[in-house]
Amino acid sequence: MRPAAIVFAIAVAAQWIVPLSGIWLQERTIARGVALRIECAAPDPYDPLRGRYLAVQPAEVKLAAPAGMPDADVVPVWATLVAGDDGLSRIESLALEPVAGPTVIRLSGVKRRSGEAGDEALLTWPFDRFYLNERLGPDADRIVAERFRAGSRPVAEIRVFEGRAVLTDVLLDGVSIREVVKEPRT
Amino acid sequence: MHQRWLAEQLPEWERDGIITAAGARLLRERYPVEPRGGLAQMIVGAVGALLVGTGLIAVLAYNWDDFPRWVRLGLALGPLAASQAASWWVLGRGESAKPWMRESAALVQTLAVGAAMALVSQIYNLPGTWTDLVFWWCLVAVPLAWVFRSDAVAIAYLIGIAVWTVAQAEAHGSWFSRGDVADVRIWFPLLLSGILPRWPGPNLHDRPQPGSRLVLAGSVLVGLLAVAAYAGIRPREPNNASFWLAMLSGAAVLLFPLERSGIEEPLSRKPQVLLGGCTVLGLALIATYEDPARELVKSVGFGLPLGWCWLLLAVVAGFAILAYRQGRFAELAIAAVALVPLLAAPLSAPDASGWPVAIASSLVLLATAIALIALEFIGYRGAARIGAALITLLVILRMADAGVSLLVKGLAFIVIGSGFLGFNAFVSRRRAAAPGGTPA
Repeated sequence: MRPAAIVFAIAVAAQWIVPLSGIWLQERTIARGVALRIECAAPDPYDPLRGRYLAVQPAEVKLAAPAGMPDADVVPVWATLVAGDDGLSRIESLALEPVAGPTVIRLSGVKRRSGEAGDEALLTWPFDRFYLNERLGPDADRIVAERFRAGSRPVAEIRVFEGRAVLTDVLLDGVSIREVVKEPRT
Repeated sequence: MHQRWLAEQLPEWERDGIITAAGARLLRERYPVEPRGGLAQMIVGAVGALLVGTGLIAVLAYNWDDFPRWVRLGLALGPLAASQAASWWVLGRGESAKPWMRESAALVQTLAVGAAMALVSQIYNLPGTWTDLVFWWCLVAVPLAWVFRSDAVAIAYLIGIAVWTVAQAEAHGSWFSRGDVADVRIWFPLLLSGILPRWPGPNLHDRPQPGSRLVLAGSVLVGLLAVAAYAGIRPREPNNASFWLAMLSGAAVLLFPLERSGIEEPLSRKPQVLLGGCTVLGLALIATYEDPARELVKSVGFGLPLGWCWLLLAVVAGFAILAYRQGRFAELAIAAVALVPLLAAPLSAPDASGWPVAIASSLVLLATAIALIALEFIGYRGAARIGAALITLLVILRMADAGVSLLVKGLAFIVIGSGFLGFNAFVSRRRAAAPGGTPA
């Protein structure tokens, strides 16, 4: 086999491994993960390579920093979520060491001093966007803004497995945003 | 390119008796000219591939959310498989494959793999910035530039790694620095080395075309400036060494070693000299103002403890020695400007006014300009026009912020402009009058 053919074969293998490894990790989480719902906000940006999406930011992004959290550096934190009576999950505890459990998500956090209230951890969730069809995107943006002003917050539906989370849907008043934007306007 | 030039010279050399027919045959065998297949064909092939590939990305980016996930995955991965099969067929043709076929196959496959990765990311709502995607895209696509000797993929790769490096430096410098920012002091040189199998290639003879050279020089410079920003800035700290590190980066690009034939080429074919020189001179011109001058001197103090700074100094010193041996005195004169802050730093008291350094910068630039002009008139390879342009620019800057009336400024600009045009005409006539010279 010529060297060029070997290099080409390696490139082809890499070109499959990168997307397939992503597919495998996400499919495993979707298939075996626990379904949770998290209240969030959803402004509307655009990704030049991947198209239009709703930016999904869970409501809980600031919590009391766990003891021993280092200053300045961004560190991994493990959040244990518990579902409330309204069906929405909220963070019950944060830990700096890995924690086992079906509703534990690995987040990133950075400590910020917050005066009398004590130190806070600013959290970054492992999902921040929900991709939408170009045609539906502007309508979704408008509807989310309208409902948000009326006091209804979007809810992120996720699957959690082994600390990894996959965003599967964004719900408005319990209905998928994709279905909401396809409904005829009254 | 050199092979083609050689092939064009051989018949004349044979006629003139410089080499024998056997010698010419040997040279032809040793440096075969690759069939060009027509530049137009290559451009049409690349444009066609680009249209097909970007159309593919746009169609997939539409987000066909009416289809189930497995259908969308099929839409993403199907074109990738098809493009790989087509590339394999082209590769199998070996040397009989036309350059435009290689170029098109490599480019379509590159765009197909980008589309596949983007769509998988879209289907699963994966987080991360688009520049993260560009990083992986570059990594899996660059072997196609080597295997198919594709300029288009090599150019795309260079632009991609520069964009990614800038994004990392920007994320590093922001107050809420992400935890997963890559250390571009290590990554950028590594990624840049990925282009070596294409240029100069395994035989060390492949040289980029002029357009590709511009992208190569531009990407290297942008990447190095981003690394300078990354290395010079510490998040949440006011210390900033980037100013001086950027000047050193410009000097390193400017002095990049050239072959003897490269030295003889005009400036328009040496974009690294042009871009590196503009960077050094541009930053030095900024330092002719008080505040930037003070920041430049401070940046020397912040920069000297950094390993990246010493690496840059070592590279600039090494390149400078080579440039001196090759008689590239004009480039050396410009690159020396980047070392002036190092000399000024010990003489400047902390929190002192920036004016002494600003005035010193102006004088150094004036001396550099005079040196560029003088070199040409004493028989060395100089840059008289650039020297004159630099003097003109300095005078204009000083006049612009001088407290004189608009009338005086206007008259001064007319005089300076006339002098510059006159000098330009004089240099042109002088070059034309030189033996074998043409108006330049």
